[in-house]
Amino acid sequence: MSASQSAVRSRAEAVEISRTLDWMILFTLFTAVLGGYHIHYMLTGGDWDFWTDWKDRRLWVTVAPIVSITFPAAVQSMLWYRYRLPMGAVIAVIALMVGEWINRYLNFWGWTYFPVNFVFPSNLVPGAIVLDVVLMLSGSFILTAVVGGLAYGLLFYPGNWPIIAPLHVPVEYNGMMMTLADLQGYHYVRTGTPEYIRMVEKGTLRTFGKDVAPVSAFFSGFVSIIIYFLWHYFGRWFNKTDFVDPADI
Amino acid sequence: MAATTDSVKADASEAPLLNKTNLIAGFMLYLVFYSFIRWYEGVYGWSAGLDSFAPEFETYWMNMLYIELVVEVILASTIWGYLWKSRDRKVMSITPREELRRHMTHWTWLVMYGWAIYWGASYFTEQDGTWHQTIVRDTDFTPSHIIEFYLSYPIYIITGVAAFLYAKTRLPAYQEGLSIMYMVSVIGPFMILPNVGLNEWGHTFWFMEELFVAPLHYGFVFFGWAALAIMGVVNIEVEAITKLLKKDLA
Repeated sequence: MSASQSAVRSRAEAVEISRTLDWMILFTLFTAVLGGYHIHYMLTGGDWDFWTDWKDRRLWVTVAPIVSITFPAAVQSMLWYRYRLPMGAVIAVIALMVGEWINRYLNFWGWTYFPVNFVFPSNLVPGAIVLDVVLMLSGSFILTAVVGGLAYGLLFYPGNWPIIAPLHVPVEYNGMMMTLADLQGYHYVRTGTPEYIRMVEKGTLRTFGKDVAPVSAFFSGFVSIIIYFLWHYFGRWFNKTDFVDPADI
Repeated sequence: MAATTDSVKADASEAPLLNKTNLIAGFMLYLVFYSFIRWYEGVYGWSAGLDSFAPEFETYWMNMLYIELVVEVILASTIWGYLWKSRDRKVMSITPREELRRHMTHWTWLVMYGWAIYWGASYFTEQDGTWHQTIVRDTDFTPSHIIEFYLSYPIYIITGVAAFLYAKTRLPAYQEGLSIMYMVSVIGPFMILPNVGLNEWGHTFWFMEELFVAPLHYGFVFFGWAALAIMGVVNIEVEAITKLLKKDLA
C-alpha cells in the first residue's frame, strides 16, 4: 500500500464516513455496555431493583449505588481520558435503564403479568449526571471518585423519592403495620422467590423514615467512593490496545 | 476527459465503503427473529412450559432445544469456516480504500455483536428472572433457559467470534498479533455459557429457588464484565481509521 494514496475520494466522503462510524461506535458501545452492565447489576442488586417491596429504606439504599457505580466509572475512564467526552456515566446508566424498562414492560408485565408499578427499575440518572459534571469540571478522577462517588450514594434515595414515596406510606392490614409496597408483595405472589432470605424485620427497616435512609445513603456513598477507584482502574485496563504473540498463548 | 470518464465508471461499479443493506438486514434479522421467539414464549410458555414432565413440554420445548443446538453447530461451522477459508493471504498489501471498506464491514459485524449481546445478556437474562422467580423453575431446561442459555447466548458467541475472525483475517491493524481486548470481549462473554454448568449444578444440589443476587450467580457477573473490553477494540479501530482519514479530514 502506498502512503500517498487516499482512502476516500473527497473530504465530503471522509466526513460522511467518519460520522457514520461515530453512530456505529455509539450503537455498539451502548449495546455492549448495556449487556455487560445489566447482567452485572441484575445479579448483584437485581432483587432489590425488581420489586417495590424489596425497595426498603436500608438495604436497597445501600446496595444499589455500590453495585451500580461500577460500569459508569469504567466507561468514564474511556470516554474522558481517551476522547475527552464527559458523558461516560450517563451513557452507561441510560443504557442500563433502557434495557431494564424494555424488560419490565415486555416481560415482567407482558409475559408474567406483574404490574409495572410493582416492578419498575430504580432511577440512577441523577447520580450519573453528577458524576459526569464533577469529572468535566474538575478533570480529575480522584475528585470524581471522592466528590462524585459520595454524591452518587447520597443522591440515590432522593432521586427515587418521588417514585417510591407513595408506596412507602404505612398501612394497617389484618392487624399488621406495613408499607403499601409490602402489601403489593403479599398480593402478587412470587412462587419461586425465597422470601425467607429477605430480612424485612431486622433492625430499623420498618421505621417509615427518620435516620435509616440518610445513614444508609451515607454509608453507600462511602463505599461508592472506593468502588469508583477500583472500577476506574478496571476501565483503564479494558482500554488497552496491546497485542500478544500467538505463540505465547 | 477519457481518463475522467473511466475513473467515474470505476467508482460507479465499485462496492460502497459501507454496505448499508447488509447493516440494516443484519439488524432486522435479529429483531424479527427475536420478536418471533418472544411470541413463541408468550404462547407456549404458558400452554406447554409449566410442567417439564408433561408430554407437551417435550413437543414444544425440548424439541425446540434440540433444533437450536443442531442449527447453531451448523451455522457456527459454516460462518466461521467460510471466514477462515476465504481469508486474505496478502492482507498487508491492500489499498487504503479497500482497508477502509473492510473496516466498515468489520463495524457491521461489531454492530451485530453489540445487538446480539443486548438480546442475550440484557433482554433474555432478566426475562429469565421474572419466569423463575414468579412462575416455575422445575428443571434446568425451562422455557426461559431454553431461549436464554441455548439460543441467545450461542447467537452472540457465533457473532462475536465471526467479528474477531473477520478482523484477524482481513484487516492490517490486527496482524501484529492477537488483540488482548478483542479476545477478552469475545472469550469473556463466551465463558458465560460454560458457567451455565455451575449454575445448573448449584441450582440442582443447593437450592431450586431463584434469588438473582445469590453468590451462585457471580460467575455470570465476572464474565459479563468482559463486555467492557469492547472499549479496547473501539480504541484499536479509532487509531487505525484515523490513520486512513486524518489527512482528508484535516
